[in-house]
Amino acid sequence: MALFPRMDRIPIPPKDAQKFVTVCQYCNVGCGYYVYRWPIGKEGGLKPEENALGIDFTKQGVALQTQSITETMYNVVKGEDGKLYNILILPAKDSPINRGNYSIRGGTNAQAAYSPTKPTRNRLHYPLIRVGDQFMPVSWDEAIDLIARVVKGVKDKWGPDSIAMKIHDHGNSGAGFEDNWAVGKFFFVAVGTRMLSIHNRPAYNSEVWGQRERGTHELNYTYEDARLADTIVLWGANSFETASVFYTEHMLPNLQGATIEEKKKEYLKGEPAEPARMIIVDPRRTASVTVAEAVAPDRVLHLRPNLGTDYVLANAIARAVWEKGWWDKEFVEKRTDLKTFEDYKKKSLMLDVPYDEFMSRVERLTGVKRADIEKAAEWIAKPKAGGFRRRTLIIYEKGVIWGYKNYDTIAAIAQLAALTGNYGKPGTGCGRQGGHQEGYVRPHSKSRAKLVGSIYAGGPPPNIDEYVKNDPRAKVYFVAGTDPYLSTPNSQAYKKRVHERTLALTRYLSEQAKLAGEPSGSEERAKRILEGLEKTDGLFMVVINMYEIETARDAHVILPAAGWGETPTTHINCNSRLLRIADQFMAPPGEAKPDWWIWGRIATRMKELYEAEGNREEAKYCAGMDWKSAEEVFLDGASEFPNNRVSEADEAMLPAECYKGVTYEYLRKVGQKGIQTPVRIDPKTGELVGTKRRYVHKFGTPDGKFKWYGTDPWDPDPMKFYPPQITKYFKDGNDKKFPFWFTNGRSQIIWQTGYNDRYLPEKVYTIPLPYIEMNPEDAKRLGIKSGDIVEVYNLEGNAIALVYVNDAPPPGTIYGIMYHWKGSLNHLTTDYTDPKTTIPWYKASRVAVRKLKGNLQDVLKNTSLLPINDFKT
Amino acid sequence: ELVKALTSQPYPRVKVANIRNLRVGEPVSFNYPDEHSPAVLIKLGERAYGGVGPDGDIVAFSSLCTHMGCPVSYSKKRFVCACHYSMFDPAKNGQTYQGHASEWLPQIILRFEPSTGDIYAEGVEGLIWGRVRNVLKATKTTKK
Repeated sequence: MALFPRMDRIPIPPKDAQKFVTVCQYCNVGCGYYVYRWPIGKEGGLKPEENALGIDFTKQGVALQTQSITETMYNVVKGEDGKLYNILILPAKDSPINRGNYSIRGGTNAQAAYSPTKPTRNRLHYPLIRVGDQFMPVSWDEAIDLIARVVKGVKDKWGPDSIAMKIHDHGNSGAGFEDNWAVGKFFFVAVGTRMLSIHNRPAYNSEVWGQRERGTHELNYTYEDARLADTIVLWGANSFETASVFYTEHMLPNLQGATIEEKKKEYLKGEPAEPARMIIVDPRRTASVTVAEAVAPDRVLHLRPNLGTDYVLANAIARAVWEKGWWDKEFVEKRTDLKTFEDYKKKSLMLDVPYDEFMSRVERLTGVKRADIEKAAEWIAKPKAGGFRRRTLIIYEKGVIWGYKNYDTIAAIAQLAALTGNYGKPGTGCGRQGGHQEGYVRPHSKSRAKLVGSIYAGGPPPNIDEYVKNDPRAKVYFVAGTDPYLSTPNSQAYKKRVHERTLALTRYLSEQAKLAGEPSGSEERAKRILEGLEKTDGLFMVVINMYEIETARDAHVILPAAGWGETPTTHINCNSRLLRIADQFMAPPGEAKPDWWIWGRIATRMKELYEAEGNREEAKYCAGMDWKSAEEVFLDGASEFPNNRVSEADEAMLPAECYKGVTYEYLRKVGQKGIQTPVRIDPKTGELVGTKRRYVHKFGTPDGKFKWYGTDPWDPDPMKFYPPQITKYFKDGNDKKFPFWFTNGRSQIIWQTGYNDRYLPEKVYTIPLPYIEMNPEDAKRLGIKSGDIVEVYNLEGNAIALVYVNDAPPPGTIYGIMYHWKGSLNHLTTDYTDPKTTIPWYKASRVAVRKLKGNLQDVLKNTSLLPINDFKT
Repeated sequence: ELVKALTSQPYPRVKVANIRNLRVGEPVSFNYPDEHSPAVLIKLGERAYGGVGPDGDIVAFSSLCTHMGCPVSYSKKRFVCACHYSMFDPAKNGQTYQGHASEWLPQIILRFEPSTGDIYAEGVEGLIWGRVRNVLKATKTTKK
């Protein structure tokens, strides 16, 4: 009867079941999990002494206390020894991060595991080489030789910049410090190219130079600060849906007043401790807003600025703080650079403009009322009874990172926190929520190409999306651990050009095969590819992934990657910089290999080729990548970090991810407890010490002071404020043709491009199609209902979407899930990037909507259309 | 309209309600398959997946949130959990359409007897939270 086969019993792990420490493969929260593994055919018993969990299974479990064990947490996998095992992947009750809580994503970790009898059998098993319109399975030797010869040939003939890449840089989901180090060593050292880009954006940059150049890294608070704050600000962060357990396990209890005793322990003597207030800045009435309102209706402030006006709003709140005298004078004078503070006062606070005039301009542009701006200022910075500073934690994410003028926007928010003294104290901090987890270590100090920073640091970095689309100098394109056909901005235009260029090479090879027969092996195939790259504007594309994702359809070589649990990986989460190991508990499918192994093989083969022709110089740069184990790569990466035998204050000078001194043995020993980076070696004891909170004593600048930045001037007239990519939609009748603002984001249910989720029936039934949310006013006017199918289109492209009518988006704004395996709404996003950072503005475009005939009955029958932001009973 | 489900356990056959006493949108609480497993039966007023009765709109579910076992409450055509705000759609097989619960709310297999109007619970599809098997103990009303 059920929509998909359900289980009403689960095999019980026996007492001797193996237990592995791991961290969820999905979001920034990084919930801790344990993998219980035992051979099929064996089972434990119902009594506590008969099973690995010590639970009396003859009794009903107790809500919130008993270990959660659900159908979705069970699977059968093949171990590294080739044997079949039962696994249960259970949220760890002893993890400080989640304490037994888990989300709709991590709860399905076990379902995403490779199984030849389930839909995840679609995992890539073998290296594939394109021959015409087919992909032919080949051995690693064949594939590696081909790639090495092409990369070497292209580099020798046209220089390293002719090799471009778009690759993951994050932790978890099968990646981590190991893979990131290997990627870095390959592209920075072996190849030495500048043409680099990160998985989710067109260039190689920090998402937040606006904060980093102030002297603070964006991961500076710890999860406990959400429990201790007087005010939590979520700015462009829909935390209930995108940092789910961080929101329910740590923010909600504070909002509910359940953390008063914890506050009293950390606060100063006599300091008032109250339930938290929450300010949410988001154009939508997201579930984060409405859950908070359900919990504490009087202590939630929701600000809904017009798209792209966030930096003006942040500076306006700061101005209100200034006017009321609520800024932290002691902090500003002691901890920040007073010379640049003058820039900030003049340009960001605009102190030369009278307050009333200033606020009227802000209201006009942002659409946020002055009274609300001043209320926000009060909740963030008005001192408490007794004159105690208000402790405010500001968490921001993609709503502003992918905003208009990324640099100025992030700087404005980071500076609001500095103005109000909210760094380095319990219950404070200002940083990213995160999307995924982190695990970045790359050999910047050894890069052969000059890598640049923001416009203020030799940059901005080149736009590689544009490079591979239009520059004939781009000859080779590696795409690893990402699916830009779905996820890159302005993706319709991007796909079209990458398809044309890769096809040009394929056509050349097909013609050669007709004229001269099939190539006799990888050496000849490589030769023909190099010819083709010379004679056409072709592009040779290599895709490395767990699955044959959308981008792979135009690749010339596809390599199968090992995923989460199939190789040990290490990474940190975003709310605490907590470093843990996600250990291996199963074998990868077929011949799939960890990314670090793949890069190592390509580099080593290139080294052999250079040595064979007597080029010892180039061979040297390809050396040292012949790693035999994941831990070897992890320890190799540590060499990039500076000396970390430093004082507690000098943690501010260390890279955020510094893990020097940590070993796998250590991580397996500390398990769920982990260690917070940056890791120091205590100068007195020689012990490894974690860093709970950053910038307690000083900031990461030469003199230890926070460096201010004055924002660009802005015009309250939208036609003068917005860039041409948007203002074109207000000219030449386009405002009538494309009457809606368009913004985008995630669903709590789906992780990224759904590379795993598209194979899970629970997810496919609930989110079967790309979708949009439309306000009831707009829906009524257009005669559109929930469940209708519409086309969403503009001058960038078009896409089909299922409609959900709810009051999350304001009238006049359409919200879309950013992408889905059945269609990407990035067809509608523009190619705008911030000239200071090359960071894209995904979060705004203009669109039109037209209803298509009929409905999909299957969807209407099986998919819930109930509003996802209405929790009122 | 009841498809005989394949279940591995000896579920009891329990009379839950009579259609005469049901009002649209008014939940009926009961326990199934034993007194430690609370459940809810509802006449939804619209055809539902797995629904019984002449209108195919009578459904029943375990009322323990599959996330961490808190009791869910019914209102406005859905189940909401006050612990972490999971929401389940009773018309669509108990699917989690918002929130943390990765497992859909277990649906109780119902049988409607047209001659009497009685509605029986006969099994559960999906694992009840807090259990590794739905039937903790066999009883004398156990269906074979």
